[in-house]
Formats: sequence, structure tokens, C-alpha cells
Amino acid sequence: MIDKVIKRDGRIVDFDQGKVLAAVEKSMKAAGHTAPQGAAAVAEAVTKRLEERYQQTPPKIEEIQDVVEHELMRMGFDEAAKQYILYRANRTRIREANTSLMKTIDEITKVDARQSDVKRDNANIDGNTAMGSMLQIGTAGAKAYNEAYLLTPEQAKAYREGDIHIHDFDFYSLTTTCTQIDIVNLFDGGFSTGHGFLREPQSIQSYAALAAIAIQSNQNDQHGGQSIPNFDYGMALGVAKTFRKAYTNKLMEGVEDYLDTEDEKDTVLQVMAQAKEKTGHGPRLEIGAQEYDAAVAQALCEHYDIEPKRAARLVEVARHRANRKADRDTYQAMEGFVHNLNTMHSRAGAQTPFSSINYGTDTSPEGRMVIRNILLATDAGLGHGETCIFPIHVFKVKEGVNYNEGDPNYDLFKLSCKVSAKRLFPNYIFLDAPFNLQYYKPGHPETEVATMGCRTRVMGNVYDPTREISYGRGNLSFTSINLPRIAIEADHDEKRFYEKLDQMLELVAKQLLDRFEIQASKRVYNYPFLMGQGVWMDSDKLNLNDEVREVLKHGTLSIGFIGLAETLTALYGHHHGESDEMQQKGLQIIRYMRDYCDRKSQEKKMNFSLLATPAEGLSGRFIRMDKKRFGIIPGVTDKDYYTNSFHIPVWYNITAFEKIQKEAPYHALTNAGHISYVELDGDTSNNVDAFESVVRCMHDAGIGYGSINHPVDRDPVCGYVGVIGDVCPRCGRRDGESISPEKLAQLRKQYPDIPTFRGIE
Amino acid sequence: MSAMQKQSTIGKDVSFERIRRITGYLVGTMDKWNDAKKAEEHDRVKHGLSCGCR
Repeated sequence: MIDKVIKRDGRIVDFDQGKVLAAVEKSMKAAGHTAPQGAAAVAEAVTKRLEERYQQTPPKIEEIQDVVEHELMRMGFDEAAKQYILYRANRTRIREANTSLMKTIDEITKVDARQSDVKRDNANIDGNTAMGSMLQIGTAGAKAYNEAYLLTPEQAKAYREGDIHIHDFDFYSLTTTCTQIDIVNLFDGGFSTGHGFLREPQSIQSYAALAAIAIQSNQNDQHGGQSIPNFDYGMALGVAKTFRKAYTNKLMEGVEDYLDTEDEKDTVLQVMAQAKEKTGHGPRLEIGAQEYDAAVAQALCEHYDIEPKRAARLVEVARHRANRKADRDTYQAMEGFVHNLNTMHSRAGAQTPFSSINYGTDTSPEGRMVIRNILLATDAGLGHGETCIFPIHVFKVKEGVNYNEGDPNYDLFKLSCKVSAKRLFPNYIFLDAPFNLQYYKPGHPETEVATMGCRTRVMGNVYDPTREISYGRGNLSFTSINLPRIAIEADHDEKRFYEKLDQMLELVAKQLLDRFEIQASKRVYNYPFLMGQGVWMDSDKLNLNDEVREVLKHGTLSIGFIGLAETLTALYGHHHGESDEMQQKGLQIIRYMRDYCDRKSQEKKMNFSLLATPAEGLSGRFIRMDKKRFGIIPGVTDKDYYTNSFHIPVWYNITAFEKIQKEAPYHALTNAGHISYVELDGDTSNNVDAFESVVRCMHDAGIGYGSINHPVDRDPVCGYVGVIGDVCPRCGRRDGESISPEKLAQLRKQYPDIPTFRGIE
Repeated sequence: MSAMQKQSTIGKDVSFERIRRITGYLVGTMDKWNDAKKAEEHDRVKHGLSCGCR
């Protein structure tokens, strides 16, 4: 007589034949039997068999299930048996996912991030803090759920085994990646963060503060980084307001001082209104200044008993002081903005928002004031002179605007090189590259290509070809293909490689569309800022309860890749840095993928685009699995990382010029985004000309987006910023060594930027 | 007051900061980089300027 069973966790509980019966009935129903006849007989047979076998000790759950399987088959219920086996396998998969989830949570909870790779998957999250850990636990839980319930078995297998990588998989069912936030549009009339309404800003300080808030708010609606494509154009409006106010105040004070009276506000406002009527505009930096100032001076003479020469002088002084005030306020606003973005938190406090700002092409005096001051504030660094980590600065380079001597913003381009040579930012985006230039319309900043986060680029628009702009759009999701594995498995057979690549492209496109279905069925209220405040293109036309499906189609679905260098090595023996022949082979592969994206775009009328994936966690994930599967293959799996996208391997000796020439053609093909790096040695701030020559080389070679890496070290003790070898050139200490308060006091006389140590000195 | 500032001897156990770029972003300390990216950073070679750059 069977009366007990052993559960999976070892507990012994009462045997219940009813449970066996229910499972058998379910399997029969799944197999298409409408009335599960014979189920009772099967359950009886199971019990009988168990009684024969388990007379001494109770059976385990798995053993009972084996018997059910066996009896179903023995009694001729083949289809029901199959369903029962599938059901068991699926339960096992979910149970295993749960177990591994518990293990992961255990690691997140107990292990120091420095010892746990899981906790350093994203370098922007501090896995040792409470909120960082909570975020990571949420990530682990969401991933387990998504894999078990949202992916098809084929997708789950490809993802789990490392054929593909689904980025931001934890957010699979929740949101989209990123957006270019048009702040001119957002600030117009004010906006709501969901936690209160903010009126339209009235000064450069509030413009800058609100820009940071916009980034923070949107960061909570999406899983990727946030970007402002028109930072200079947007902030320029704030500068104009600050200048107008300053001009009014300075003029008023000047008149009051001159007349020795208390309150000339009303008259001065009248004077200015008169001047506006005459010239058609109010006080502005530079533009129409002479004409306007003359009109103000004339009106002053009409209202006051004042000599024309004296009046002109009063106006001149007012303008001069207003200029100075606007410039100073703009600097402080930019300084505050940078400090804000480096210290503010989002996403349950666990992250600093990933932020990017694009600028460089606004040639108005206000825009130029913004660009100059954001660069100067970045050059100065944070409170103790630290290099700012955020935002990513993207300088838009354009011939006729800032690239050549004589261009209106050429001085600012030069300044950007000086700052970047010291602080690593700005990066450079090249509007003259043919694939960017094709969208460019002078006087329409929204047609200037901009970039966000790591490298995301959104310009073309198959869904609505009349809206090929950067503003209000972004990436929806992206998935990367393990190219080296396809090459290894093709075993030097090019034809097989392309066949496998085809299959993988199909699989990824299908998965992106499945994910889109989930994203598209969300409502405006799921994205209170992004959609609710009209940040995303056309979302202002939707109501709170509307589905976001159609407007989301302005975004991109991107297919990414990693390890072109290893792919070429696996297929042909060496990579594209080593020969022109391999360069052609490399371009052939990437063009093939791009053609697929273009075809898919036309077929679906959606924006499929090809991405040179920014692989952080991914850089090690694929190769770890491929090492296990294929062993060490020289030049392919013999490192701890696959080479990023189409890059020439980081360890390969090549000149900057050659590297740029080799990588540029891939920029033209990767329309979802790309970046090329050049690594320079030594302290580039001492050789800005060399730095600039590399930027110019990128421009001329047709690079889309590039940046120059060079060592930037800092000694937090003496505040030195530059290259530090083993010994700090300023205070002479080695890493971890102490210095005496006397020595520090002596250094402070020489260097005003040395941090203070309260309580010690 | 930060832990660093509390040190009775200034600078003891305080490391140099080494800022590097990782997938487009800057990171102030490499403590938080994952193992693969650390290995990649370690392997990076410098690119010479002897070239036909204008």
C-alpha cells in the first residue's frame, strides 16, 4: 500500500492518487481527447506499479512521473504521453530557472562586487549599495521570467546558448531603449515630470536645471541612455532671456544712478518698448545691437532731460554689463548642469542617468555662448578638478560651420579639441560624412545627425520618409549576433557561413518583432514622461489610454554584431587589419547584414537598422561559451573578450591613420550607430595639434562618430590631473602612499586646486 | 567628511584615479569594470601618428 511520497525538497507527504489522475487527464486533454476516458485506469495502473516497486521506502516525485510516462505509453496513449513529457520538461526548465535565480540573488546579496562579475555587468551601477543590489535582483528576476514565458523555445535556446544576445533583456516586457529629447519643444509652455508641473523656464540657470530634470525623468521611462540633440539651440533661448533681463536691469540701474532717483522701471520699460517697435526686436546679444541701442538712446532722450551723448553712454554701459552677466550666468548654469548630471540619481537611486548632449552647430551669439561655456565648465572639472563622467559631449563637426578657418564656430571647434585633449570629451560626430550629409538641410538642426549613449544613431525613416530627423526618435530594442561562432561552425566554408548568417538574421528579426508587439501594446500611461509629455515623435497626438503602436514605428529595431576581426580570422586565417583582401571580405559580411536590414525594412515598413554593438557585458559572454564549446582557437577564442563590432583588435599594432582608414567604410554601413577609437599615448593636452590632426583625419576619411582615448589620471590627494605613471608628478607619492600635511601645505602655495582635508589640516 | 579625509595621514591607501572609456562612456575607476572589459583595457595598444593625416 502506497501512502507516502518524497517531495523534491525531501519532505515526506501523503500520497494522493487524485493528483496522478488530474495530471493524466490534463495530458489527455492536451493531446486532443475531449473526454479523457481511460484516465482513471491509467491512474490505477500507476498506483499498482508503485505498490509493487516501493514496498520499503516511499517513491520520489520524479519516480512517480517516470511511472506515469511509462504507463501512458504501455496503455497506448502515445500522444498523451508525449504531452506529459513536454509538460514535465517545461516544468523542469522553469524550476531550474528558479533555482539559478535564487543562486544569482544569493550572490547579489552576499558577495562583494569586486569579486562578482554578475555585479559588475554594468559599470554605472554600484552593486555594493542597497539600491544597486535591489536593481540587480529585479534584473535577475525579470530575466528568468522573460526567458521562461516570453521567448519562443527557439529564441530562448539561441539566447541561452549564446548564438545571440538580447540586450536589456530584463526590460523585455517593459519599455524601449532611448530617445533624442528635443528640449526646445519640451520647454515650450512648460512640462510636467509626473511629480509636478514646471513652468517654461525664464533664465539660462533654469533652462540648464530643467534640461537635467528632463534627462532624469525620461531615464525612468526607458532602459537606455538619454540624449539632447540640440543642446546649444535649446540653451540659447535661455541665454537670450537672461540677457534681455540683464539688459533691462542694468539700463534701469544706470538711469537711476545717473538721475539719482529710486524707481525708473516703468519709464525704462516704456523706452525699451519704443525701441522694440522701431527695430522690430528686443535687446539681443550682438545681432542688431547697434540699431537697437541707438533706438534706446533716442527714446531715453525723449523721456528724460538727458544729453544724447550721455544717453548713448548709459546704453553702452548697460549692454556691456548685461553681456558680462549673461556670460557669467551661462558659465554657472553649465557648471551646475554638469555637476547635476554627475551627482543626480535615477532608477531607484541606483544609477546616475546615462546622458549625452550634442552641440557645436548653433552659430547664434547665444548658442556660441552656451557652447563656449559648457566646454569651459568641462575643462574646469568638478569640485576638486575631477574629470566629469557625464554627460557624454558630442561635438557636431560641419564644414562651413565650424571645421575650417573662417567658419563662424571654428574657434569653438578649436576649443573643443583643447578640452577633449584634457578631459576625453567631447567626442566628434561628422555631419559631412556622406551617409550623414544626405539628411542635412541647412537651417534645420533637426536634420543634423546626433548620437546618444554609447553610439545610437537614428536618422532614416522607412515608416515615414517625410520625417527623417533625429528629434523625438530613438531605438526600440536591439539584439546582437555572435558572428565568430557562425564563422567557427562554418569551418572555413564561406557558403556555409552565409547560410548560417541568413538563419540567424531571420531569427533575430523575428525576435525583434515579437518584442515590438509587447512594446507596442503599451499605453501612453505606461510612459508618463516620454509619451505623456510628447517627447516621442507624434505622441502629443495620443490620449492617455491610447496604444503607442503606431508612433513607436518611428523608432528603430536594430541588429547588432560583435567580433568581425575574430570572424575573419576563423574563416580565412587573419583579420581586416592585416590585409586589404580581408578588408574586402569584412566589408562584404557587414554589407550583407545591412542589405538584409534594408530588405526587412521595406518588407515590414519599419526601421530595421544595423548596429556596431556597444558590447559591455557582451564582450566576455559569447567568448566564454565559445571557449567551452570549441576550445582555444588562436586569434579567435584565445582572449577573454571578442573585439568590439568592426574594430581592428585593440592589441593589434597599427597607426592611427591606418586604423581610421580601415574602420571608416564600416561607419557607412552601420546605420544604427558606430564609433571608432584612436588610442593616443602621453598627455595629449600638451599636444593639442596632434589631437586635432586625428579629428581632422577622421572627418576626411568619412568616419561617422569617433573619439580619442588617452590616459587621464588624477591624484585625489594633491588634485593633479594628467598622466600619472608610478609616481605622481606633483606630490611625488606612489599609489596608496601618504604625504605629510607640511608637504601638502607647501604644495598648496603653488597650486590653488589642491583639495582640502577638513579635520586634518 | 569622506573616509579618505578621515585618514590621519593624508593619502594613505588612497589610489590614483584612472579614467577610461568603456563602450562610449567614461568610468572614473576600473573597480566596477567586468572581467572581460578589464582584459580588453589591459591589451589596448597606442596608435602612432606617423601617417598621412593632413
